[in-house]
Amino acid sequence: MVVRDKMKIPRLTTLASIAVLVVLALFPLIGVPLRWLNYLFPFFIYLALANMWNLLAGYTGLICLCPHAFVGLAGYTMAIGTWVGVPFQVGLIAGAAVAALFALLISYPVFRMRGIYFAIGTLILPEALKAWFNFWRPVGNEYQGMGAGYSVTGVAGVTLGDTYWLGLAIAAVSIFVVHIILRSRLGLGLTAIRDNENTAASSGVNIFRLKLSSFLIAAFIMGIAGAVWYLYSPRINPTGGFSISWLLLPLMATVIGGEGLEEGPIIGAAIVTFLRFLLADYGAWSLFIQGIILLVVVVAMPQGIAGLLRQVGAYRFPLRLFQAAEGKIRRT
Amino acid sequence: MEDFLVGLAPPLIKGILLGGLYVVIALGLSLVFGVMKLINVGHGDLVVLGSYFAWAIMGWLGIDPFLSLVMGVPLFFVLGFFVQKFIINRTLRISLDAALIACFGISIVVQSLCQAIWTPFNRSLLTDYRLLTFDVGAVTIPLRYLLDFIGGLAVMIALREFLRRTYLGRAISAASQNEPVAQRMGINPNRVYSFAFAIAMTCAAVAGVLQGLTFSFHPTSGPPFLIISFGVIILGGLGSMAGTFIGGMIFGLTQTLGGYFSGGSMLVQTIAPYLLVFVVLSIRPQGIFGR
Repeated sequence: MVVRDKMKIPRLTTLASIAVLVVLALFPLIGVPLRWLNYLFPFFIYLALANMWNLLAGYTGLICLCPHAFVGLAGYTMAIGTWVGVPFQVGLIAGAAVAALFALLISYPVFRMRGIYFAIGTLILPEALKAWFNFWRPVGNEYQGMGAGYSVTGVAGVTLGDTYWLGLAIAAVSIFVVHIILRSRLGLGLTAIRDNENTAASSGVNIFRLKLSSFLIAAFIMGIAGAVWYLYSPRINPTGGFSISWLLLPLMATVIGGEGLEEGPIIGAAIVTFLRFLLADYGAWSLFIQGIILLVVVVAMPQGIAGLLRQVGAYRFPLRLFQAAEGKIRRT
Repeated sequence: MEDFLVGLAPPLIKGILLGGLYVVIALGLSLVFGVMKLINVGHGDLVVLGSYFAWAIMGWLGIDPFLSLVMGVPLFFVLGFFVQKFIINRTLRISLDAALIACFGISIVVQSLCQAIWTPFNRSLLTDYRLLTFDVGAVTIPLRYLLDFIGGLAVMIALREFLRRTYLGRAISAASQNEPVAQRMGINPNRVYSFAFAIAMTCAAVAGVLQGLTFSFHPTSGPPFLIISFGVIILGGLGSMAGTFIGGMIFGLTQTLGGYFSGGSMLVQTIAPYLLVFVVLSIRPQGIFGR
């Protein structure tokens, strides 16, 4: 069940979000403390991942447990690319393309599975990839590759500001993509598939093609987000690249924020990032607390925080303010 | 040809014996899956928790891991009962997906708890009989593999008798065969779910001991067991004990024979079961038993 979007959204909201985007983009230029960028960059990456996970789980009904496959593949593609002389700018796109290609390859078998079978079927893939990359060494000498992983070379000139902008751009694109998809025929078909696959099929929705498009879009953006992450911390190994935390972060952000709600992943990603830095000193207990929060949210408020906010009408007041402001602007 | 067969014998026997371990893990998963149509994504981690529990008791009281089950089984049973009652039953009311995510949350909590308490290092249950071997003809078999097989057989028979002969067991079977009808016969589904999960947890406790004797374990070594045991119940069929047993053997054999034919390559040994599950899933997307 999803809270329907009944509120009329004033145009000023769009303007406000563009303003926020511009301010965020200016951050590296106006000399804010570097610490802020280091906090915000992971937020952007988690936000992009969470948005795409929300597109799959919240709007298409695909509980996809393999984002770490996309992140790892894209990261590895970029890392290995820099070893054979491919510039990282090309590597970013190539990594995302490889992730999307992988999604295309597995789409036929995994889309034959439904519901819980799909979840487990996708969970197998990153485990298999991790095992494969633990033994595979395409380039480098005996101190690189395999379990030890690769460094991303030739990125010494990339500053924190550059990766920050990349992260911001990807997060903004991911929000924009979901926004556009939801207001198009594709989004209508996807939600129809989520609500009832058989009814959607009998109403003439091409289930396979629609699922595939959302899967490919998600794989591409998750891949590029992962590759940018490995530009930021330029070392990738199988346990890190295919780490289950790349699944946990978007899953927790989406579920805590509100699955199937557009603003859910934004709220969720902010909370997850905040918790991550707040609990960074506590090692494994940090994940423990996040897991408990996830359980509490799933049990107590299945629509997440955004769903709760909608239920209590927390958006009404700011929206009314916007509307009043808009009315005033129009009159003058 | 004869050399070939002689060479083939150890991996064959080892694979079949190892299958016993997978049977124990899969039985717990299959019980929950049968009743609730839910895959407990945290089952592998619960198995590892069982291993850690036995390891901790061994270090603390110095008793044999099998004896530690006297404490482990009741503890896991009660834990499972309440986890189901307070977490999964509530999410099942919302949707199956919510329950799946709740199971995922349990998996995270268990994994990080193991990591926080027992550090991420590799552990194994170091008993004095762990590395013993015995000879059957020309074949040398490690004792721990035989223990896996005996354990698998014992748990399977115990569970089968329980499901056939006790009232609760029959209620669980009834609920997994046809829940609406079972409900009309006066069976409380939530209660049945709680007991099914509790029994699945005891299976995890037993499997944890066997697993800890056979392999080494660390906090994140759970997911492979989940995948393999999921493959076992897909291959073997739901509710069929013999099927689960055969499925377990097939997965044990895949691992050992895969390793044998690739010249002991760890890559093939780790990747072969995954590929088998994936291929089976893509050929029969609803599982062999279908719905």
